[in-house]
Amino acid sequence: MGEVIVITSGKGGVGKTTTTANLGTGLALKEKKVVLIDADIGLRNLDLVMGLENRIVYDLVNVVEGTCRIKQALIKDKRFEGLFLLPAAQTRDKNAVSPEQMIRLCDDLKEEFDYILVDCPAGIEQGFKNAIAGADRAVVVTTPEVSAVRDADRVIGILEANEIRKSMLLINRVRPDMVKKGDMMSIEDIIDILAIDLIGVVPDDENIIISTNRGEPAVAEAKSLAGQAYRNITRRLMGEDVPLINLAGNDSFLSKMKKLLGFKSA
Amino acid sequence: MDNETKSISFKGTAEGLVILIPKEMETGAVMTQVAEKVRAAEKFFRGAKLNVIYRGKKLTGDEEQELIRAMTENSSVTIEGIRYEETPKPVEREKSANISGMPIRRIFFKELEEGPCKFVRGTIRSGTRILYEGNVVVIGDANPGSEIVASGNIVVFGALRGMVHAGADGNRDAIIAALKLAPTQLRIGDIITRCPDTSEEIEFLPEIALVKDGIIYVEPL
Repeated sequence: MGEVIVITSGKGGVGKTTTTANLGTGLALKEKKVVLIDADIGLRNLDLVMGLENRIVYDLVNVVEGTCRIKQALIKDKRFEGLFLLPAAQTRDKNAVSPEQMIRLCDDLKEEFDYILVDCPAGIEQGFKNAIAGADRAVVVTTPEVSAVRDADRVIGILEANEIRKSMLLINRVRPDMVKKGDMMSIEDIIDILAIDLIGVVPDDENIIISTNRGEPAVAEAKSLAGQAYRNITRRLMGEDVPLINLAGNDSFLSKMKKLLGFKSA
Repeated sequence: MDNETKSISFKGTAEGLVILIPKEMETGAVMTQVAEKVRAAEKFFRGAKLNVIYRGKKLTGDEEQELIRAMTENSSVTIEGIRYEETPKPVEREKSANISGMPIRRIFFKELEEGPCKFVRGTIRSGTRILYEGNVVVIGDANPGSEIVASGNIVVFGALRGMVHAGADGNRDAIIAALKLAPTQLRIGDIITRCPDTSEEIEFLPEIALVKDGIIYVEPL
């Protein structure tokens, strides 16, 4: 029996789709059977990030409407064994699917796959409700910005209200140098507010932009720091205990003192 | 409304009898209706001395006299005078202040020492709103974007970063206390204040907010 994990954030542009692609690929590299569902109907782009756009024949809406069988709509990723994508429809909108249909779909997929990752659309409306409907767990993606953290907080509240209590936090696009200077929220600050378990921190890495545009998930690249972070997060998602990579290096004694005294280091 | 436009009504006031005459009513109909009404309440009018004030349709002098006649002929009332009055505009009642979804009332919640109390466990997240007629105790944090509105005191056993309104129906004696008091906005009764913009959180110490001389003070517990 598989597990359904929704990747959500509330705010747009924080890296939900990139995270879904990388975690999915990471799990597939760990020899798991994985399906990625793009729940962002009307604004699909998980297929782009995965580099599978030109292979779409059927989509999520076709499946729930019974136009095709699930098997027909699943796109097999030839690069990674056991990785499949269920793309979103581009010409429909979020109301084309209901939460009940999503639950049924997730239940069907659970029988065949180890992990079902749902890429949630931004916002907290119908599309969000559909995406979380069948989920067992959630990965909440945020960036070290007040707006993203605020939205993540709201989303965690809604997830809790919908009985999804095992939410885990992924902090994306952290810039250790800026955190060090006090110009960016630190990981501690974010966890202090959101009060949920941290699954990992992904540093800001321009390689991600390159790999995303190419449709090749960074997790498969050995050299990329973000790829390393995603590999670790994948292992944590599978229940392994992996220590966080130290992004910042140790705080110096002076900066600790400054923090203690309330100075902002220049 | 329909009845009012179609028939005459009587209203007793300190100044005298007020007759409301619908503007579009014909004079003949006015007289018959007045006569009918007076006859029906003959006992009430018996031996009474009255000033008549009428509103709505303006009558001519002759018509006024006719109206008096319609009244005196049908009962033993004595009419001391008659005058026309503009229908007073409905007084716009001042809307009670309602800043946090709980209107400020003249008779407000007073059970600050002892009374209904709501306990909330866990983090209150952005977008969550707690509205309660009584005291509220939160065991956990109240995050920015959350709202706690209570007619009594509010105590947060954790970090308070959201909006809080204690004594929300008008009680300035209500207090707000938190282990870490850093709300986006703090309201007690009808007073609104916000935290000073400090760049860095220096200390973590329990504080209490209360009203003295119409100003909200924050003091260490």
